[in-house]
Order: sequence, then structure tokens, then C-alpha cells
Amino acid sequence: MANPQKPRAPFAPWDRRELPGSFSVEETARRVGHYKWAEMKLFEALGGWIATVPELDIKMRLGTHCYKHAWHAELWHKRLPELREMNPERLTLPANDAMVRFIDAMTEPEAPELTIEKLVGVYRVFIPHFISAYTYHLNNTSEITDMPTIRSIKFILQDEFDDWREGEMLIQSLLETPEEVDRAAAHQAKLEKIMLEAGGIAGPGSIGINTPAPQGAMS
Amino acid sequence: MKKFMPVEELARDERFNQITQADRMSDARSAVPANAESTRRSSNRLTPARADASDAARALMHGIFVGEIQALEGAGRTCWDFTTGEEAPFGLKLDMARQAWDEARHVEISLKLGDWMGSDVGQYAENTVLFQAACSNDPVLRLAGVNRALEGLAIDVFTSMKEFGEMAGDPYLEFCEDWMLADEVTHVKMGSDWLRKVTENDPERRKKALEFQSIVDKMFSYGGSRSDSDESSLGIARRFRELAGFTSDENEHIADLGLQALEERKAQIREKQAAAKN
Repeated sequence: MANPQKPRAPFAPWDRRELPGSFSVEETARRVGHYKWAEMKLFEALGGWIATVPELDIKMRLGTHCYKHAWHAELWHKRLPELREMNPERLTLPANDAMVRFIDAMTEPEAPELTIEKLVGVYRVFIPHFISAYTYHLNNTSEITDMPTIRSIKFILQDEFDDWREGEMLIQSLLETPEEVDRAAAHQAKLEKIMLEAGGIAGPGSIGINTPAPQGAMS
Repeated sequence: MKKFMPVEELARDERFNQITQADRMSDARSAVPANAESTRRSSNRLTPARADASDAARALMHGIFVGEIQALEGAGRTCWDFTTGEEAPFGLKLDMARQAWDEARHVEISLKLGDWMGSDVGQYAENTVLFQAACSNDPVLRLAGVNRALEGLAIDVFTSMKEFGEMAGDPYLEFCEDWMLADEVTHVKMGSDWLRKVTENDPERRKKALEFQSIVDKMFSYGGSRSDSDESSLGIARRFRELAGFTSDENEHIADLGLQALEERKAQIREKQAAAKN
């Protein structure tokens, strides 16, 4: 056994984490509040749609995915007070009005014949934007000071990737004619345009582009 | 998507045949035959010794399957129907999302068990009474209806099915029912806890919710299908109900409702018999 009294480097040679990060505490709290709001809207919509889809396999998947997004919202809810936001509801907000319009448009399909539109909104538009925003956050925040956020994002991203893949496969299994492909594409384009206006899950700068000003103390 | 979905709009594929409680009661095959009293079994409990045990178990499993679908839909709708904070606490909705996941697994388990027992999806009619009875427009009544009455019934049903699996030497059935039973206890507990919390300063609302639960419980005990009597097909799973937060008084109340319903049913049979003799 090595001499236990011998000084060791505090950071092992394989530990390459860096201190600087792009986001201040306030900016992190702002983003986390938007994530929580968006995850809430997603789990509510998935829950509501369960009874409206006739396809049994999809009904069960929506029930499963509903919980995952509720859990994500809960993780963000718990993170907010750790970011000096003692009233989590204060920051649980949409990024902007366009994001509210996006949710309204995404949750508009209700009839049992509209499963394609329901799934496209979630799995081809909303969840890919979650993955983008979370990946940007993960890759730009301080790997030491903001490790709790990183840990949550890693758990969440695993869910998002799994659900994205599952949702995409369900969509592919529903598209049986060229007309249905057009339907899916048209609905995706309609929603994507509103999301473009919103600037992403956390508004402009969700993935680092179109960022109005430096956001952090130690970029 | 609108709030509050009527039961008629529950979406199903073409294999399903939905009926309401009214349809079921007006079905001539549900009528009490004039000689019912003399042909009644001494016990209606589901046991392998019953001549119709396989068919009865398959029918019950299909009933569990469609009940799980409706419970999944009910939990999901609670996530959607009520505004967070204003109408339902955030934590309550998180619990309902969790319940949606659990119910989705129960649908999966029921499908596999149905397959194992040799029945097909849609082989039996789907009675929509669970969704109809349980999905109130008031979140507190919904907790009482779905989480306490409906999920309480599920505790009784799963206990019966688990015992049947045990008696029949079917460890596959027993194993699955035991896991589902654990989830149902959790769901009833969620309902009990939230009902207490949300109505903490509103005794009138709590009273209304408990009255509603009693009505739904009576509906689920229709014809005395659930009571302590062996003449009922389901018993009251007191131990698991207590784990879930039901008090002894509540359990006794449900048992009384069941016996009362059973006696009413027997009186109807006697009336029919008398009418037939005259």
C-alpha cells in the first residue's frame, strides 16, 4: 500500500474539470425556471393526451413519458432554492410570449385521428429543443461550481434521448402514406416556426447563439 | 385540447367494446333469473375449485386490464385538467404523473397476464363506470373517487387475484398481482395524504369529498359484489387498506356498504321469485 502520509495532488491526473463557466447564479436560475416551466407543460400535455389516443401502445408510452417530464420538473423545482430563489414559482415562467403560443399550438390537436400531430409536436420539435438547450447548458456551465445542475442535466438528457428515440419510432410506425408524411412535416414546420420566434426552451440564447450579452462571471 | 373529457370520448381501437353501467344493467343477460335463489352458489369467491374458474379468472383479468387503462387515463387527465397552484398543488400533479407511469405498467402487466391466461384484448366488454364515476371536475373529489374508491377497489381485486394465483399454483399470476398491489397501496396513500392536506382548513370540502367517495364505493359494491360475505366475489383487503391509510372505521363502512348492497340484491331476487310464483 502507498504511504498514506505522502501528499497527493488534489485533482487527479484524469480529473480535467475546469472552474470557469458561462453562467452566473442568476442566469442559471433564470434558465432553470424556464426549464421547469417547459417540462411542466410537457408532462401536463402528455397526461391529457393519454385518453385521446386510440393506439394502445402509444397510450402506454405517453403515460410512461408523462412521469419522466414531471420528474424533470421536480428536479428543477428543487434546484431553484439552491440558486438563491426561495420562491420557485417566481421564476417558473415561459421564456416569452412565443413560448406560450408554442405550447398552445402543440397542445391543440385533440381528436383521436391526430396522433401523428400530437407525437410530432413532442418528439420532433419540443424534445429536440430540450436536448439542445440542456446540451448547451451542460457544455458551458462550470464543471465545479454548478455540478448539481450538471448532474440533473445528465439524468434528464438520458431520459430525453430515450424518449426521443421511442417517440420517433412511434411516428415512423404511424406514417403509412405520402400524405401522412406531408401532414407530419407540415405540423413540424408550423411548430418549428413558433419555436424559432421563441428562441428555444430558455428563449434567445438557449443554445448560445443570438445571446444578447455575456451571461456569466467567468467565461 | 379541452379540459374535462366526457367518458364517451375515451379513445380506443376497434377491438374494444365499451358499455356504460346503464348498458350493463339493461342487458337481459344481467337480469336476475326467477330461480336465482335456489341456484346460487354458497360461495362466489374466485377459487380454482369453481367449475367456471378459468373463464371467471379471464373475465376478471380483462376487467382489471380495462380498469387499468381508465386509471391511466384518469391520472393523466388530472395532470392536464387542473391548473397548477390555483386548482391543484404542484406536488399533487407530480404524484398523478407518477401514478400514470404506474398504471401504464399495470396495463402492460395485464396484457401479458391476459395472454398468459388465454384471453384476447376486447374479448369482454369494457365497462366505463370507473372513468365515469371517478373523474370529477373537482380535484379533491377526484382524489376521493380515483385514488381512494377506485384504487381501494383495486386493492381488493388484486388481493383476490393474488390469492387465486396462490391457490391455483400459478406463481406467475401471484408474482404480478403482488407487485401491482404494492403500487395500488401507494396510490391510495397518495390520495389519503393529499385529501387530508388539501382540505386541511376546509372541513366542508373534506366532508363533501368523503361523501362522494362513499357514493363511488357503493357503486363499486353494486349488487354486493364486494363484502365480507362469501356470497360476494370480492372480499375487503383490510390489512392492505390500512397500509394505504384507510382507518378501521372506513374499512367497516365499506364492508357495511357491501353487505347492504348484497342484502338489497337478495331481496330483489326474493321479490322476483314471489312474483314468478304468483
